[in-house]
Amino acid sequence: MNSQTSIKARNYAASSSLLKRNIHKFLDNKLALIGLIVVVMMTAACIIGALAGVDYETPNLYVMKSPPMPGHPFGTDTIGRDLFARVLYGGCFSIFIGVFCAVMSSAIGATLGAVAGYCGGWTDKVIVRISEIFQAFPQLVLVMMLVAIVNKRGLGNLLLIFVATGWMTTFRMVRNEFLSLKGETYVKVSEAFGMSKQNIMFKQVLPNVMSPIIVSTTTNVAFFILQEAALSFIGLGVADKTPTWGNILNVAKSVSVVTDQWWIWVFPGLSISLFVLAINFLGDGLRDVLDPKQQ
Amino acid sequence: MCLNWSEKMLKFVIKKLLLMIPMLLLISMIVFFGLQLTGIDPLNFMVSPETLSANAGNIDALRESLGLNAPLIVQYFRWLGICLTGNLGYSFSGAPIAETIAVRLPYTLELAGYSLILSAVIGIGIGLISAIRQNGIVDYAGRIFAVLGQAVPQFLVGIILIQVFSIQLGWFPAANRVSPGAANPFWDGFLHLFLPVMTLTIGMVAVLMRYARNTMLDVLKSDYIKTARSKGIPEWKVYLKHGFRNALKPVLVITMFRIPMLIGGSVVIESVFSYPGIGLTMTNAITSGDYPVVLITTLIIAAAMLICSFMVDVLNALLDPRVRLGE
Repeated sequence: MNSQTSIKARNYAASSSLLKRNIHKFLDNKLALIGLIVVVMMTAACIIGALAGVDYETPNLYVMKSPPMPGHPFGTDTIGRDLFARVLYGGCFSIFIGVFCAVMSSAIGATLGAVAGYCGGWTDKVIVRISEIFQAFPQLVLVMMLVAIVNKRGLGNLLLIFVATGWMTTFRMVRNEFLSLKGETYVKVSEAFGMSKQNIMFKQVLPNVMSPIIVSTTTNVAFFILQEAALSFIGLGVADKTPTWGNILNVAKSVSVVTDQWWIWVFPGLSISLFVLAINFLGDGLRDVLDPKQQ
Repeated sequence: MCLNWSEKMLKFVIKKLLLMIPMLLLISMIVFFGLQLTGIDPLNFMVSPETLSANAGNIDALRESLGLNAPLIVQYFRWLGICLTGNLGYSFSGAPIAETIAVRLPYTLELAGYSLILSAVIGIGIGLISAIRQNGIVDYAGRIFAVLGQAVPQFLVGIILIQVFSIQLGWFPAANRVSPGAANPFWDGFLHLFLPVMTLTIGMVAVLMRYARNTMLDVLKSDYIKTARSKGIPEWKVYLKHGFRNALKPVLVITMFRIPMLIGGSVVIESVFSYPGIGLTMTNAITSGDYPVVLITTLIIAAAMLICSFMVDVLNALLDPRVRLGE
């Protein structure tokens, strides 16, 4: 590399070597790699299944409660719907709920955290108070309360409620980071240059906080999937006509199903557990790579 | 200096306690007005549809006499006034809520309390052992358990426990809190509590173990442990007196922080085990649209949460003198 190379090009080279190093580090972490592969494969299977148009809603009254057999690899449920199709379709919805809510709540949390941390003063106080009120409830109870208020069980409402109640952890984290980064020289320099507040907050400071946000978004996917499952299990989640891993498991409330039709709850249960396990491995791996404190 | 500190501490505690009151009022207001948005009419629960259509003229009079025509803000303060007298109102089915709560709140406290104690003891214990014997058998088993415990949905763990221990083996009852006419109420309680407490404990232990392990590992790497070792203090004493004591503080705080998870979890677990606590009461009230009950149960849970976060603050201040009491 000759001395004439521009600073920009050198920066680019440095950043791409950092990226390479991080990718290597990630690939070295076997568990994280397995996690990534499982997540990708399960998501792909669910999406391909849904695109192929497997039939998940027509009951076949001749083969109710049938154990796994050719044609129905996971068996059929209490009213004769193919469980394999339901698990695939349910996977699409569950994964969508997890990813959508994790990304949206992180976005809201990060934006509010940035504004509160950077602006300080009254803005900060008001946003912190609001987050404290939200945190006065265990998240599940808050969600249940909102379900009661909305009084209608649907996918859209559930997504809204999850996003509205899930932003506080990211918010606190980003706000704390901003509080400490606010005093850094580069922020002062940007201010002296007369950059707009938005520019400083979102283009200068936020990229430095991205790593923990990415990690917490990943683990939140698992959290929201489990949350939806729990909510659907107690009967307050998505209505039964939209299958999710959680509300397929809802039938496991009946003792006779648990005892006599193991396949109805074992397959969706395994799917959730495996997916959440893979996401957690992936999140841990990302944390090892991205968390500067561990490097 | 010491007196000064205890005075400050007292001030801090009182201030935190007083701050809880406006917080609770605000929350009660939000829940009260929020539930009005559902548009559920209590009259539908009180009067049968036949009477309703036959006496259309009297409906308004009934509404007036119940105070339902008053502005919402008046209704709120009326409700608040009644609640402050200790009468928590009536559910739509006519049962006094205070009586329901008096029976069911202790059940939930039992469930959550035992799980908390048990998971703290087991979780911290295993965490410390895995840190001391890093990469040993306990460490590996513990890590696998932690990973699985966080991935399998808690209600599924409950279902599996019911399936194995109460249906297949028949050792424990699968539902409820008391068996009518049980000879020994204590033993009966133990049998009923065992599986739900286990379910909640498994989830909590998975989380706590990891924290305890990592904290203890950090502590064991610190300089004062090396100093203690170099002074020739016996190894067990280094672990217990120097390591454990310092690792315990952050772990205890994390344990308290995890109480919301426990309360949220117990709402679901009560449903799995048909355990008649506050959580099941709330779930049933939401499904049946019984709003007076929803209101009271959410407030109780919010109050419990506020008390927990108050205890975390105080515990933090007690354990770590560096916490500034002024703020």
